[in-house]
Amino acid sequence: MASQITADKPVDKPRLEMRGIFKRFGATVALKDVNFAVKPGEVHALVGENGAGKTTLMKILTGVSKPDKGKMLLDGLPYQPRNPLDARLKGIGMIYQELSLVPHLTVEENMLLGMEPVRFGFVRWEEMRNRVQEALQHLNHPQLKPHIRIKDLPVSLQQLVEIGRSLVIGCEVLIFDEPTSSLSRHDIDRLFKIIAEFKNKNLSIVYISHFLEEVQLISDRVTVLRDGSVVSTQELRSTQTTEIVRMMVGREIKDLYPRTPRKIGSPVLEIQNLAGLEKPENAIFVLRRGEVMGISGLIGAGRTEMLRAIFGLDPVRQGQIKIGIHLGPSSPAKRWLQGVGMLSENRSEGLAANLNLADNMTLSKLRGFGPLNLVLPRNQGAVVQKWIDLLDIRCLSPAQDVAELSGGNQQKVAIARLLQHGVDIMLLDEPTRGIDVAAKAKIYEVIDAFASGSAGEGRAPGAVLVISSYLPELIGICNTIAVMFRGRLSAVKSVEEIDEHKLMMAATGQETLK
Amino acid sequence: MISRFVPYILCSLTLGFLSCNQGKNAQEELTIAVIPKGTTHMFWQSIHAGAVKAAQELDVNILWVGPEKEDDRQQQITLVDTQILAQVDGIVLAPLDDMALRRPVRTAVTNNIPVVIIDSGLKDSEDIYTSFVATDNREGGRIAARELARLIGGHGKVILLRYQEGSASTDNREQGFLEQIQEFEGITVVSDEQYAGATKAQAQQASENLILRFKASNGMLAVDGVFCPNESSTYGMLQALRRNHLAGKLKFVGFDAAESMIEGLRQDEIHGLVVQNPFRMGYLGVKTMVQHLRGEPVEKRIDTGVTFVGKEDLSRPEIRNLIDPNLEKWLAR
Amino acid sequence: MMALPKKRAISFEKRWSWLNKFGPLLALFLVFFFFAAFNSKIASFNALEIMVLQTVIVGVAAIGMTLVIISAGIDLSAGSIIALSSVVTALLMKDFALDPLVAALGGIAAGLICGLLNGLLITRLRLVPFIVTLGTLLVVRGVAKGLARSIPINAGQTWLSGLLALLPPDRKWMLIPPGAWLMVLLAIIVAGFLRYTKLGRHIFAVGSNEDTARLCGVAVERVKVFVYAAAGTFAGLSGLMLMSYQEQGDPTGAVGLELEIIAAVVIGGGSLSGGEGSILGSLVGAMIMTVIRTGCQLNGWPTWVTQAVTGIVIIVALAVDQLRHSKID
Repeated sequence: MASQITADKPVDKPRLEMRGIFKRFGATVALKDVNFAVKPGEVHALVGENGAGKTTLMKILTGVSKPDKGKMLLDGLPYQPRNPLDARLKGIGMIYQELSLVPHLTVEENMLLGMEPVRFGFVRWEEMRNRVQEALQHLNHPQLKPHIRIKDLPVSLQQLVEIGRSLVIGCEVLIFDEPTSSLSRHDIDRLFKIIAEFKNKNLSIVYISHFLEEVQLISDRVTVLRDGSVVSTQELRSTQTTEIVRMMVGREIKDLYPRTPRKIGSPVLEIQNLAGLEKPENAIFVLRRGEVMGISGLIGAGRTEMLRAIFGLDPVRQGQIKIGIHLGPSSPAKRWLQGVGMLSENRSEGLAANLNLADNMTLSKLRGFGPLNLVLPRNQGAVVQKWIDLLDIRCLSPAQDVAELSGGNQQKVAIARLLQHGVDIMLLDEPTRGIDVAAKAKIYEVIDAFASGSAGEGRAPGAVLVISSYLPELIGICNTIAVMFRGRLSAVKSVEEIDEHKLMMAATGQETLK
Repeated sequence: MISRFVPYILCSLTLGFLSCNQGKNAQEELTIAVIPKGTTHMFWQSIHAGAVKAAQELDVNILWVGPEKEDDRQQQITLVDTQILAQVDGIVLAPLDDMALRRPVRTAVTNNIPVVIIDSGLKDSEDIYTSFVATDNREGGRIAARELARLIGGHGKVILLRYQEGSASTDNREQGFLEQIQEFEGITVVSDEQYAGATKAQAQQASENLILRFKASNGMLAVDGVFCPNESSTYGMLQALRRNHLAGKLKFVGFDAAESMIEGLRQDEIHGLVVQNPFRMGYLGVKTMVQHLRGEPVEKRIDTGVTFVGKEDLSRPEIRNLIDPNLEKWLAR
Repeated sequence: MMALPKKRAISFEKRWSWLNKFGPLLALFLVFFFFAAFNSKIASFNALEIMVLQTVIVGVAAIGMTLVIISAGIDLSAGSIIALSSVVTALLMKDFALDPLVAALGGIAAGLICGLLNGLLITRLRLVPFIVTLGTLLVVRGVAKGLARSIPINAGQTWLSGLLALLPPDRKWMLIPPGAWLMVLLAIIVAGFLRYTKLGRHIFAVGSNEDTARLCGVAVERVKVFVYAAAGTFAGLSGLMLMSYQEQGDPTGAVGLELEIIAAVVIGGGSLSGGEGSILGSLVGAMIMTVIRTGCQLNGWPTWVTQAVTGIVIIVALAVDQLRHSKID
């Protein structure tokens, strides 16, 4: 164990402590002798690849599941939550990645759901209001009023309500699970300010994130989990991000963004004056073989809408889409036939959770798996197994339901579908969001091989159009980048001409790419 | 759920308007709603024909409105309520349920719309309705029991396949049958706990299973007689016996007279049918109502009679008229 | 990712998928032996033949309903379509004096048309299947009654009657009636179709996740129309079976039968939220309900017991299904 934590002074007594936690599911050991502690006024980051055991650990902490062995202490006293509500009542609140609010109830009702202060069976509205007011003051946002219905709020504010829910009951330990994955830069800054304030008020924060830059920015200590065990717990000031990555994956990822020489060929996708119902307006660009083109911009700028319009999922108001020799808007079915494949930003759209891996991977082209166009599971499985091996998809068999895979492996299945289909053009929407570093590296590798034509025997170089909110990634994998701001697409620039700063300025509308 | 009360509320609301609308012009043609339990069975078609005959003779209008299914009490209640709203002059009703229909009947009567009950009774409501025109169903059951006992020679085992829970007329037939059959010491009822259910296919399945249950190892039935209390149960049993090649091998008394069942009688597959006189019931139902509306005194209870029909009776003209009342003449569209 | 001890994990998964596949069959045997313990007659050849016979009407319609439920839809109009098809078949034979085979095809075609109507209404008007089929339930029933002038139509004895009747002694070698063999044959074909064809996989994909299916270029609307048309056709065939069983076209027949058909699919492992269901399971589900009914009646248990027991079995089947899923998670 790392030496830094021995620096604990008596006054630094942890508020929450987990000691020697073990947990197994059937034959799988999920947690092995995990020790974890948070002090008052501390932000403690918990990082690790998907499947490293973070979620299991937090489930135990919030009473969703029980540890097989080990004990937990809260303020030095034994702590055994029966369920998440009980955990919250005892002072441990969790802010989930997938928000768990009731859309048709108001802010106030949501914040007190399940714990309405009741006396003799009547809801005590007075007390309810006071408590909510107090919590909302802490969050300090002008738009957040008790009587607004949740469905009328943007996602970033919904998250604040989720936080407020824990504040109302007086939680002293707050757990954030990937809080920034669906927030804009601005909202992230606001959230960090709120977290900093909590810290000043001596609350304890557990912060789970894949964004190591963020972790670096706001955390005091970091605990790295790998394969169900703690690799290390360290003070962050003394730790480099690369060091954390090394501990997470257990090896050095030397070249995260591989770049085989790409030969730019003929145009395959030509967009002229493309406009969707609202966004985008008037987009113009040309995508060529051997090119990886990135679209940067804020969430809601219209990037996803543009991709969907090209693929025929969203209506096209005006403009021209030319794919190879095919002209005009089309349907997804035709696009696949034209050699275009799309990866959705939303994994619940991209994959059918209770279909098996083989069906998910081959859904767009169920051909060539047997005589008479029959789909014989044995042949299908054999083809799929090839991709499983090639992309290192961790699964039991091609017949396993994708719901049982981790996020990163699910994403690999979704990408494998495009490869198996044999597309020439990939439309990728946030291909690496919410997945672990190793899976990301694999996906970068796939994109590079696809564009450089080194993917398979005699394959021509493909073309990739990729949307990402993560700037280092875009710069790392693309040849060219354009920025979308409020539905308008900038000129396309070669990656050598731009840097993160320029992209950010363009994405926030302070400068245009020229 | 709310929809259940809507007609009731509407009725209460219109009560005020209706009470201003009394003393109809005697010259105006009377409109009488006739509400059966269902519309498909031959039985109801005959009632319809009888009602049409009465309407033509007495120069009144009739409205023929029935529920889709023979166990949809809810729909029948709504139908009655609608007729109250429509301000018909009188209602002739065959209640699907002897309790559930009491409320709408009472509403009708308090709105000055007299009600004549036909076919099956309404519990404890003699003071409300004008007259009760029906087969004496209990007597029908008794006749069936006597005839079945005669057919099997006064001793043996018999089955009663009931129709459906909550149907007053068939309940009475079943009770009458059981009362009477018990008086024959040599006869035992080996099954009376099975209900056939609403559709013929269900009746047929229940019959097949009963046959299976009482089939001896030599393939013959260990039962001497069977009684079914209405058209669908009789047809289901007939079909099941035929399909088991057992039709005619035991004595079978049914109730009502559909074409297919008369055919069974001719083929010696059925040995007797207790036949009501639905045509007469429809006729007398409407006639009694008209008499009441025109201020003539009417009888509180009118029996339309039941007749036992064996194969040899089929040639008699009065029986022919009873089982095949030339519906086309009255129901021609 | 954790290093999974691979072999053990696979055997763990296999155990559950085995239960997944054969759970309903196991339940059928349990129910059967339960009743056999009370009355051995249920195990006689004659009883088995009767039970298969009584399963066919629900079973044939359940084949089509399984497709609908796998695609995350529902077809409430099945009972009405069955009645309509029986009426159309009987009418064609009686009033138009057509050959029984032609009349039968006419009845099935009526079912196909109703199914197409359901499918087109659902996809073109973008209405919820529950509402559309609730509407067509009434429309189709009304049409059936109108065609038959509200009275049953006696079509008389033809070879059609033999389709769903106990076998005559000289044909006992067939084991079960021809209608039942037809059901088995169709079940095998449809099960194979679901498992081994592109369209079959597309039905699962649409039911499992419509968005994914659309993204992958599946013609979602066309799949849905196909599924409802198929369900209508099978209901039409089931109506032919009813007509054969009852030797009547019955406009008031099969009232409420859609619920029994849906129950069969659900007992057999179909999920009303789509993506799951099997033809074998649905037939076994239909068979379970027949065994319960026959078993109760053979023992002379009153009718209310039959209904209560059937209800309990449905709930137990769903509970087991739930348990099965939570285990896998």
